[in-house]
Amino acid sequence: MSLPRLVPLSLRRPAGVPPLSPRPPGRAGVGGRLARLAPAALGLLLGMLALGPALGPGFVLRYDMVFVPDPPPAFGPALGAGGFPRAVPSDQVVALLSLALPADMVQKALLLGVFVLAASGAAALLPGERTAARLAAAAFYAWNAYLAQRLLLGQWALLLGFAGLPWAVRAAAGTTWRAAGWGASTDGAAEGGAMGGAGCAAGGESSGRWYAVRLAAALVPAAVGGFQAMLVTAITVLPVAALSGPPRVARARVPVTALVVAVLSLPWLVPALRSDAVTDPAGVEAFAARADGPFGTLGSLLSLGGVWNAEAEVPGQGSWSVAAVRLALSLVALAGFARFIGFAGFTAIARVRERRDARVNGPRFGRGLAAAAVVGLGVACLGAFAPGVLRGLIGWWPGFGPFRDGQLFIAPLVLCQALGFGFAVDRLGRVGPAAAAVPVLVLPTFALGAFGRLAAVDYPDEWRRVQALVNADPAPGALVSLPWGAHRAFAWNGGRVILDPAVKMFARPVLWDDTLVVERRAGGAIRVAPEAPAARRIGALIRDGHGPLTSALTREGVRFVLIAQVNENEFLSRLPGARPVLRAGELLLLRL
Amino acid sequence: MLKVLAALAVGAVLAGVASVAVVNVASPTPEPPNKPLYNYGTR
Repeated sequence: MSLPRLVPLSLRRPAGVPPLSPRPPGRAGVGGRLARLAPAALGLLLGMLALGPALGPGFVLRYDMVFVPDPPPAFGPALGAGGFPRAVPSDQVVALLSLALPADMVQKALLLGVFVLAASGAAALLPGERTAARLAAAAFYAWNAYLAQRLLLGQWALLLGFAGLPWAVRAAAGTTWRAAGWGASTDGAAEGGAMGGAGCAAGGESSGRWYAVRLAAALVPAAVGGFQAMLVTAITVLPVAALSGPPRVARARVPVTALVVAVLSLPWLVPALRSDAVTDPAGVEAFAARADGPFGTLGSLLSLGGVWNAEAEVPGQGSWSVAAVRLALSLVALAGFARFIGFAGFTAIARVRERRDARVNGPRFGRGLAAAAVVGLGVACLGAFAPGVLRGLIGWWPGFGPFRDGQLFIAPLVLCQALGFGFAVDRLGRVGPAAAAVPVLVLPTFALGAFGRLAAVDYPDEWRRVQALVNADPAPGALVSLPWGAHRAFAWNGGRVILDPAVKMFARPVLWDDTLVVERRAGGAIRVAPEAPAARRIGALIRDGHGPLTSALTREGVRFVLIAQVNENEFLSRLPGARPVLRAGELLLLRL
Repeated sequence: MLKVLAALAVGAVLAGVASVAVVNVASPTPEPPNKPLYNYGTR
């Protein structure tokens, strides 16, 4: 079946959809190729600007982002201790990449890759000849409060999925803009076969069997990222696959999409289902979306912020002026998206025919992406406005635990706004390219590592010595990390809070306290109980008076105890018979 | 021409807001915490 390749845009534009400026539908030659590479280059530039001092020599350590030198591939923080596999397979991929490159270089490549992938992906959802629109969408998607806050929370693995999301949407909808304009792809879906229509947009060169291959390739970043990245991707690609063509296309495509998502989730899904970890419903209050500015929780979420942790806010983002400008930009972007997807009735509800025509001619992924954004916003609002529902769900099945941190599910809303912003910029004419600076101007303090919140540091020498000693020991047995708490704030890391690095350093199971303590600004703390059974048992031992621990730890299969940065006598008195192996700097390593 | 003027006006507003934000954030901050254990965060 032949599909229309180049149809004059003026013939495609339905009533109600704003006219496009009369530009040629494509560019050839070097100039065209440079224009296509421009979004990726812009992403790289924005990444360098955002990371700033974090690109220096050393590791960037902040909250969940803990990279270590020579990471062992065999164990992650959860694989060894029986908790939920939060860093699977991301830690294993980092360990494998670190066989070829120093781990700090791997980290920088991944962080910069997030920006490049995000920017180029958002641009790839817009027609190739619309350079200003593509650059604006690229800048918006690579520079926003969501990305900034999640980066400041150290969730680089989630951001891999976020960066790959536009590519996943593109693959799930079978969208290409190779030979047509804004409204071309839906025609391909309508005229193509069930899966053929899914795989081709303009030209019919893709067959249905390539749909799964393309989708799997597009989902690789999310698959590497692990459970959060895949969940965000799943709630996006499934509606896109379901709503991106005629019903018979969706019937063929949705099961394939679900199967690809399920297969790529196996690395973390299998250990999660086999785990006997539990989820504390108290986490609903701790990790619900919150107001990070003057416009309340909903205003924060619409402005793409609202992360649960106040320490992960971009500095200065909560001031009235900055928050107001961000919210205004988001509203403009949402209006732009409504028009982009052809919802001309947005401004003229009564003109039913106009609306229907516009829907038919919108981008193929438009309705699905809009549905995903609504669902994501709903999940984000659930913990904030109906916590009882979520607590009940988690109490019924711990698998609902990931929905505690609902704000992360607004990723499709970010993509909607980026595309809407690009569409709005396309109407600006000659001043359009300058609009690529707007996302930076509305969140300027994300620059330079959020003004020092991100920086590169070296591990003190004693950490590497302990790592070498423990990993060289052939005898089996776990390592217990003390003091009994999940997070540290080392002076050598500028006081930045990080997950205990011991969790990721050793080629043996590490037993650590995965209790999460979140301070309330109003006073008091929320304690989210540990998930891993071993952590619960050892935690009870440590907190239970001042008796000796040596025999109990030996029964738990413990061979080493690592004590960091505290008065060692506090623990030595409870570990009779333990032999010091290394005492250096802030560390004391004991063998039982 | 009208679009250019409007863009300049919007750009000036954005630049002003951005400048104020940067100046506020770049001002000296207290010493970071230096204690062995720390909370996962604050809300």
